[in-house]
Order: sequence, then structure tokens, then C-alpha cells
Amino acid sequence: MTTLPSSRPQAIVEPLRKIVGSDAVLSARSDLLVYECDGFTIEKNSPDVVVFPTTTEQVAAVVKLCNEADIPFLPRGAGTSLAGGCLPVGGGVMIVLTRMRDIEEINLRSRYAVVQPGVVNIWLTQALKGSGYHYAPDPSSQGACTIGGNVATNSGGPHTLKYGVTVNHILGVEAVMSDGQIVQAGGPAEDPPGLDLVGALVGSEGTLAIVTKVWVRLTRNPQGYRTMLGIFDSVEDATNSISAIIGAGIVPAALEMMDQGILAALEDAFQFGFPLDAKAILLIEVDGLEAGLDEQRDQIIRLCEQEGAREVRMADGDKERQKLWKCRKQAFGAIGRLSPSYCTQDGVVPRTKLPHILRHITEIGTKYGIRVVNVFHAGDGNIHPILLFDERDPAQIKQVLQASGEILDECLACGGSVTGEHGIGVEKVEFMKKMFTEDDLTVMNQLRVALNPSNRLSPDKMLPTAGACGIEQKHPGRRAAM
Amino acid sequence: MSITATEMLPISEKLCPDTQEALVDVVRDCYAGDQVIYPIGGGTSLDYGLPPKADGVGLGLDALQRVVEFPARDMTITVEAGMTMAALAECLAEENLRLPIDVPDQAAATLGGVVATNFNGPRRFGEGTVRDYVIGISAVDGRGTPFKGGGRVVKNVAGYDFCKLLTGSLGTIGLITQVTLKLKPIPNAHQVVACAPPDLAAADQLLAALVESETAPTAVELLVGTGWQQDRFAADVNADAARPLLALAFEGTAQEVDWSVEQLKTEWRRLQMNQTHLLAGSEADQWLQMLAEFPRRGPAAGDDAALVLKANVVPSGTTRFVAQVQALDPTATIQAHAGNGTVIVRFADLPDGGIGRDLVGNLDALAARLHGNVVMLANPARAEMTRQSVWGGIDAPYRLMEAIKREFDPKNLLNRGRFVYQF
Ligand SMILES: Cc1cc2nc3c(=O)[nH]c(=O)nc-3n(C[C@H](O)[C@H](O)[C@H](O)COP(=O)(O)OP(=O)(O)OC[C@H]3O[C@@H](n4cnc5c(N)ncnc54)[C@H](O)[C@@H]3O)c2cc1C
Repeated sequence: MTTLPSSRPQAIVEPLRKIVGSDAVLSARSDLLVYECDGFTIEKNSPDVVVFPTTTEQVAAVVKLCNEADIPFLPRGAGTSLAGGCLPVGGGVMIVLTRMRDIEEINLRSRYAVVQPGVVNIWLTQALKGSGYHYAPDPSSQGACTIGGNVATNSGGPHTLKYGVTVNHILGVEAVMSDGQIVQAGGPAEDPPGLDLVGALVGSEGTLAIVTKVWVRLTRNPQGYRTMLGIFDSVEDATNSISAIIGAGIVPAALEMMDQGILAALEDAFQFGFPLDAKAILLIEVDGLEAGLDEQRDQIIRLCEQEGAREVRMADGDKERQKLWKCRKQAFGAIGRLSPSYCTQDGVVPRTKLPHILRHITEIGTKYGIRVVNVFHAGDGNIHPILLFDERDPAQIKQVLQASGEILDECLACGGSVTGEHGIGVEKVEFMKKMFTEDDLTVMNQLRVALNPSNRLSPDKMLPTAGACGIEQKHPGRRAAM
Repeated sequence: MSITATEMLPISEKLCPDTQEALVDVVRDCYAGDQVIYPIGGGTSLDYGLPPKADGVGLGLDALQRVVEFPARDMTITVEAGMTMAALAECLAEENLRLPIDVPDQAAATLGGVVATNFNGPRRFGEGTVRDYVIGISAVDGRGTPFKGGGRVVKNVAGYDFCKLLTGSLGTIGLITQVTLKLKPIPNAHQVVACAPPDLAAADQLLAALVESETAPTAVELLVGTGWQQDRFAADVNADAARPLLALAFEGTAQEVDWSVEQLKTEWRRLQMNQTHLLAGSEADQWLQMLAEFPRRGPAAGDDAALVLKANVVPSGTTRFVAQVQALDPTATIQAHAGNGTVIVRFADLPDGGIGRDLVGNLDALAARLHGNVVMLANPARAEMTRQSVWGGIDAPYRLMEAIKREFDPKNLLNRGRFVYQF
């Protein structure tokens, strides 16, 4: 781990003020506390200085200064990362992009928008209201997270099943590279010549460049929706229905599952009228042309019933649809009613392996005496088991960590992934060795060396080979997630 | 195929390893012996890119064509990269699935080649491009290190996204050996609706109006030039060869497609475009395949263009770019994926003043003003092939790409001299 003499960062506070202005630099200990972790609270480390640039040129000047002073630096958006992507390992300068917050252009004719990295995801949705277009990636944290952060983590959300993840909607980026040069890759025209740098930068978790502007693709709003609630007496019937729907060639806009445990908490919080004796519920939405929707709805109902659904309810109008989605997107807020502490995992399995992995999760829960509830992106096979525990009991903490590890191991054994949308950050660096071979990691490091040769930008993230010491998890924290 | 390969490439021999492990050994040997490697898929696009100069060996991927895993109910497939697009399509169709990417020469073109060249056709408007479908990839870098990115599940953010980095890399940073794809169900209905607006300005108005259309086309094609008269349907639509032709394709359930066609006709009538022509079912599908062949062969039988260029501009600049091409050469045959700003031009003859001065120089500048670039797809005479005329994109961040190339292929063995790098 890179530990720097603390005098050096202090020495650049003045030059930083000259670049971004005094009101855009924090260096007092007490001011820095907020920035010592993000949504991943297990590990904490304070940056030495935090800056809030307002222009790309300021970002570039800050980066050059850090290089001259040999100080590590890293970007941060809203800090909602659940993997510790914003943890300033080794201290250094944190570049917070939330003051670069303009939507520079909305171009419906060519179906794109240009936004600065600090634009909050939902602001773009709001700005597009009434235009007939939207920006498709909708992480559950969209009210807080920034588009720069979404690009860096390649965010997903409930609607990725049909519409794809962030990278499928990014046409170009302007970025400040690790040496301070400003580049533009891609833009409003498709197929830029040469290597797909845009594709390489999206999802690179701030380890290859700092994104300072984004060209996003806009998507036509669907003409209509049909939103259904499938109610099941067994988890198995629900997961079989997922396979049946997708196997029938229907690609729903969203297909989310909630199990009995989470339903109780949701009902307590929102009084939606969920049947509390149901073992699982599927929230299924199809969208598109009105002309095809009733047929798809009827087919889905038929398939669910064939697989043993007790009942399939239709959301009655837009109001009920909104309420259902509110329940889903705020599910994590309801968990506090179940347990003093909880830990959410993010793993992926092929969707046909869902019955297996859910059974396995139950077994692991029983083995460790931990209660586990589930609410997740079932159509994508993206599980989010929530482990409930009491953080005052050190024995439980240890068990939760072991159980989480076993669940992720089983995802890998099923041919899946240890993260579907939250990223590797510092949290899952050790899992990279399980998912990838040494050769794979060596070649990933080649990309890092090519674009971030000094490794001063976001050191010790994502790759174990980049000199990361591996964070030993001692505490699962209290985490919300989707 | 190997005749073509030895004609196109300065190779003494063509090696065809039949396992991925054997391929790794070949690359390691080449690395040890400083031997330049020219990867060969189906051999359909060996003229794409700069003409190679260094002597080397051909490395055929065509023996690697196994289906590794096809969990149809997960809607993914993992196959070796040498599988042809036709074989892949056939295999997928058995489960009523497809990869909705249009490529010419499906019977010969391999999946690895399609990924390496990032070729996409008319359906890119509604279905996206090949990079949207590659969810896992295995490759061998220039040192002979086998590596992979992504995985076999549709959602995955672990590690750097090599699926994207290798797509369109023309085999210059890694030889693609295996690909995992996300798939889509085959829609059961297809229709094409076409009209012939009086001129490009009118075509532009129809394109602008599509922004508000209630319909969701999979393809938005603008066809310009007398060459299209050789196609029966195009000639039916457009009795007056001087007019542009605008064709939209719809796919989905029969109900959806029928509704879309009626809706579009209504929308067009409001814009005084009363005369429309339709193609349905397999005829529509075949016509789309004809359009997909355009980069390789024009609508006329035996058409052999002297030069084929592809431009990408901001979508709203499409008709302006097309007009400029026509002004330069009224005999050119032009296909634009107008919703995406992709314009492909087949020139019958090379201009008198030279490609650089009369065409590329002129069109590059306009493309740049429209935020895009021009690349050369084919140039049978191999005249004036420079980095600038072949790849364009003066302002592209080539230096970063060179840095990546150096790390992945330090001896510059993979497809040396053919891509955008200055070495
Ligand atoms: C309640 C809750 C629900 C969530 N739901 C979802 C969900 O549904 N789907 C999902 O994918 N994620 C979800 N997340 C995770 C998180 O919100 C996303 O990862 C989000 O994209 C992070 O955005 P941010 O602005 O907060 O970025 P930060 O947390 O500030 O940063 C995340 C990473 O990106 C880097 N970064 C930030 N800005 C830039 C930039 N401009 N240039 C380069 N690198 C940069 C940082 O260094 C860090 O590594 C959820 C989180 C919470 C707390």
C-alpha cells in the first residue's frame, strides 16, 4: 500500500486553491471525514485533500499537479458506490465531480444528450420529461448517483433486462487521462475509428481515466406498459416461470423477484396488499407497442399459471404501477424493520440456475444460523441476497462474511460472476483471483499500465496484481443495495 | 480461400491450429521467432485496413468452430471464433434465436472476423451493434498469453471489459478464439415500407419526423443513386431514378408489425408522402439481406466498385453528407443507415484527381464537421492507401491506442501495419 509522507499533500493545498479557487478545496481534518468512505463502509481512509473542480481544464491541472508532486488521486461522484470504489487508499487528492453538473445539450433529432459527469441520473430523466425520450439506465440509486459514476461502474438497474446496461447507452466520453491530457473518445457519431476506448473506459471504476463529459444515447419511450404480479406458493415455481417466460421468446422490460421474507417487511412499510403467505412474488413488466402488449401479458399469465402460480394480478392503472415500483425500488429502506444490521451481496448466475442458487442460499443461511431474504433482478440472474444479523455480536459478523463468500463461490461454480452491477472496487479484489486466471489478470494489468502507467490514479482498486494489498474484511457493514 | 489470403497478405504459409491451446503455441513460437502474424477468419475482409508490408504467417481460425456451450433457455451461446455466421445462425434458429447483426458473405464470414471488424448492417438502428451482444471473449495477445474478459452471464461488471476493447480491434491486440453472445428471439413477422421522396431535402424531413414517430423500426435505410435501379423492389418504389428511396423495416409479432406499417403510412400521409410500397415476410427478410451485402457487392449483378467508403456522422447530418457525395460523383451508389448516421458509398470509378485529393480529403473534412470520420472499406486497385485515407479521424486519440497496442503486442506482430497505429 502506498503511504505518503503527510507533508507532501499539505504542500499542494495552496497550488490547488489557485487552480480551483479556495471555496473548492477541503483540507481540514473535520471536513474530510465525509469523504473517508462511500456506500461501502467497512474500510475507511481519509483523503488528504478534496477538490471540487468545475471545468475539465481544472481537472487536468489538478491531475498534472498531483503527478508533479507524486501524490495519488482519485475521482468521486456522489459516493454511492457499494464496493469501496471511492476509498482513497493511501490518501492523496480526491477529485469530486459534483460541481460539474450541467446538461450541455439535448439533441432529439440525433438521439443523444451531452452531460457533465456530476449530473445526477434522475436530473436527465426529469429534463427529458415530455420529450418522448429517456435515458435508459435506471439504477435504484438514480436519485443520488451521478452519470459520471454510472459510466465508471457500468451501472445496471431493473430495466437492464431489455434495455442493456450503461455501456450500451454511451456514445462518447471526454476524459482526463492519468497524466493530465484531455482526450475525447467517441461522440455524437457512431463507430469512431480505432480501438473502442469508450468501451474500455466504461466500467473501469475510475482506474483508467477521469470522465469529464459524456455523450449518452437517448431511447424512445415505450408506447405502453403491462405490469403484473405473479404470486407463488414456492420459490421453485417462481424461478421456473422466469425460465418459461424467457424461453418462450418474451423479453420483459423488467422481471424482479421478492421472497416471503422481504414481502413481510415491504407490506409493513407500504401496505400494498401483498399476500403474506406467498413464498415468492414476481414483478413482471412488458413494454413496447400497445399492439403487442395484451398478447404478451396473456402469454405470461398462462406460462406462470402452467408453472403453478397461485394467481397473477395486473397492476390496475398507472398509479398502481408506480406504487409497485416504489415498493421495489425502496425495498432496502424496509429492511430496517427486520433486523438491526444487514449485508447485501451482488452475484450473477445463468438464469436457469436461479432455483439452484436460491436453494443453496437457504442452505447456507441454515448452516450459519443467519436469516437471508431476497429481492433481486431475476430476469438477469442477478441475485442480491440480504443477510440479516446483529452487528453487536462479533460471532455473527464473522459468519455473515463467511456465508457471503460461500454464496459468491457458488455463483462462480454455476458459471456466473461475483458482481453484476456494484463492481469490484476494494471489496471484491480478492475474488478476481477466483474468477480470472493469472494470465487474465496479467493482461488486464497491461491495460492499466498502458493508460495509467504511474498508477497514481485510483491505486489498489479492481486488480489484485496492481499492488493491492487486499482489504481483509472484518465487518460486513450496513449496506443498502439493489 | 487460401488463394485469396496469399494474394492479399504477404504470407509464406497459413497455419490452421485446430484447438485454442495449439493456437497459443503458434503465437508463442511466433513471438519467440519475431514472426509477424496475419489472422484469417473467413477471408472475406482481408482487404480491410492498410495493405500489410511485413512478411509473416497466416493464422487461420477456421478450424476453431465448435459450439462450446449453448444454454438456449439462458439465451446465450459460447462458440469458437472460427464458426461462420451462417453456421451460427443455423444453430441458433433451431432454438428460435438469433444474433441480429447483418453481415455480408454470411456463409464465409466468421464470428471472430465480424467481432474484429465490428461490421454491422441495417438492423443496427433497432437492434444495436455487435459490441452489444458480446458478453464474454477469449483471446491470445501478441506475447502468446491467453486471456478472457466478461463471462457467460448477461450481466457482469468484474474486471476490464475486453469484450468491448477487442470488438473492432482488427486482431491487432489479440487473436479472438472464443466468444459468448447474448441472443434474441427470432421475430415472427417482418415488413419493409418504402417511399421515394422527391429529393434529399424531403427525405430529410421524413427522417426528422421519425423522431416523433409512434413506430419503432429496426432499420431506417436511405438509398441513393442510379445503381439501385438494378434492384427490382427499389426500381418499383422509385420509377424516377433521380429520387432517393427511404425504406423502414419492422420486426416483431404480426400484430405489432401490421400496426406499425399502418401507423407509418398515416404519419407519412400527413407529410404528403402518399405513395408507399410494401414487402412482407421472407421477401422482406431477403431484401434486408441484400442491403446487408451492400458493403461487399452492390445491387447490380457483377457490380465491382472501384472504391467503397464508409462514413459515420451525427445522424442529423446524413442527408447533407449524401448530398456532398452526389455532388462529387453523381454515379455513386449510396446506402445510409440514416437513423445512425452511417453512410456507405460505392464509387464506380476512381476520380481523376486521385482518391486523396478529390474524395477522401473532401469528405473527411465534411465528416469531421459532422463530428465523424470516413474509413475505406475496399479499394481493389490498392491505390493511395495511407493511414489517413484508410482510417481518417484526424483528431481521434490514436496515441492512447498506440499505448495499448504496445502493451498487448510489444513486438508488433499482430496484423502489423494494417490498423490505425503509427507503426
Ligand atoms: C441504495 C442504493 C441502490 C443502488 N442501486 C444500484 C443499482 O440498481 N444498479 C447499480 O448498478 N448500482 C447501484 N448502486 C450502486 C451505485 O449507486 C452505482 O455504482 C453508481 O453508479 C455510483 O455512482 P456515484 O456517482 O455515486 O459514484 P461514486 O460512488 O462516487 O463512484 C463510484 C466509482 O466510480 C468512480 N468515479 C466516479 N465518478 C467518476 C468520473 N467522473 N470519472 C471516472 N471515475 C469516476 C469512483 O472513483 C468510484 O470508483 C446502488 C447504491 C445504493 C446506495
